[in-house]
Amino acid sequence: MDDLETTLTRYFRPGAPRGLVDRALRGAHADAPDLAGLVERLRIDATERGVSWIRQDGGGGGATAPARRLAEQARREIGEYLDGRRAFFTVPVDLAGAGEFQARVLDEARRIGFGEVVSYAELARRIGRPRAARAVGNALGANPVPVIVPCHRVVRGDGTWGHYLFGERLKTRLLALERSTPALVGCATTRIVCRHGCAHEQRVREDRRVVFASVEDAESVGYRPCRACRPAVIAH
Amino acid sequence: MDERTFARLAEEYAARLYTVAFRMLGNRADAEDAVQRTLLKCFAARRSYSPRWAASTWLYRALANVCIDELRRRRPAGAAAPPAPAPPAVEPVDLARARDRVPREARLLLALRYVDGLSYQDLARVRGISINTVKSQLARGKAILKAALAGGGDDGRP
Repeated sequence: MDDLETTLTRYFRPGAPRGLVDRALRGAHADAPDLAGLVERLRIDATERGVSWIRQDGGGGGATAPARRLAEQARREIGEYLDGRRAFFTVPVDLAGAGEFQARVLDEARRIGFGEVVSYAELARRIGRPRAARAVGNALGANPVPVIVPCHRVVRGDGTWGHYLFGERLKTRLLALERSTPALVGCATTRIVCRHGCAHEQRVREDRRVVFASVEDAESVGYRPCRACRPAVIAH
Repeated sequence: MDERTFARLAEEYAARLYTVAFRMLGNRADAEDAVQRTLLKCFAARRSYSPRWAASTWLYRALANVCIDELRRRRPAGAAAPPAPAPPAVEPVDLARARDRVPREARLLLALRYVDGLSYQDLARVRGISINTVKSQLARGKAILKAALAGGGDDGRP
């Protein structure tokens, strides 16, 4: 069946819509949306257990040295995330102030993969309360630690973004940022695959970066998961 | 690499980049978006382009990274609510269905191999994998396609 060769050659015959390159490069000189300044505007509070409060009114910190260290770690990680250099957070969160329902909603929201979006109704279904989409929206609207608990990945079922604590414009920017930032990156020379933002991954040279869709995919072509950031234990 | 050289290179490869993206992602809008993101990324990095690399390898590596990451975001039906992709109107239905059964990595290698005739060595460089892995992935991909095309419903997997 060398028909297969013929079929594939025909199937993969190159062709592109007119003006593709012009359209693609039109935005090349536009300034990248500025998210970098956001991290300085954030107020980040932490307890010794983790980050407990993030809002846009500056300042913050912690009552003790370990708490302050966690707040600083959160600021550093959020800065890297907004700069497209990180796709996950290692800093712990302290959600002790949340009620039982809100804690379940926030916990479920944390499981939404980087760059993915889920509807309010779907999140309600996932916590076993399919009729509580509106309550889910309220719980996310009062998210004590936005960005780290990614409530921006929850959108309305009709395809519009819906409300966001930091404003809809920022929600759009964060989702666009996540669309153009990979989550799993392998190094072509060491054949190790890391979560984007892992200390090892940050040292991989640009021309050695290979993106994968899952750890299984990476393993199927001879890569192994990093032992430091352990990409195999994340949801995808 | 200066701006004009880059623009010429982009024109030269546009059709091939688009076809790889279209066959990976299955619809025109996502394919065009993937090519755009690839070209913008390479354009921004054009000064650090090293002639040690073939320009095609450089572009295909970037395109593969974008397409694979796009596929990562696509979850099984019902799991997420991204805007539904437009139906792939002009694809031969059988081949599109068969192609969807081929694992992502093999599908990408098949697309690069058949769109631009990349050698095993080139494919290995694009994905940062060994030549033996390239060969085994291509063989596996073709076996799955063959079985799917011949048997219709059977996906050819053991």
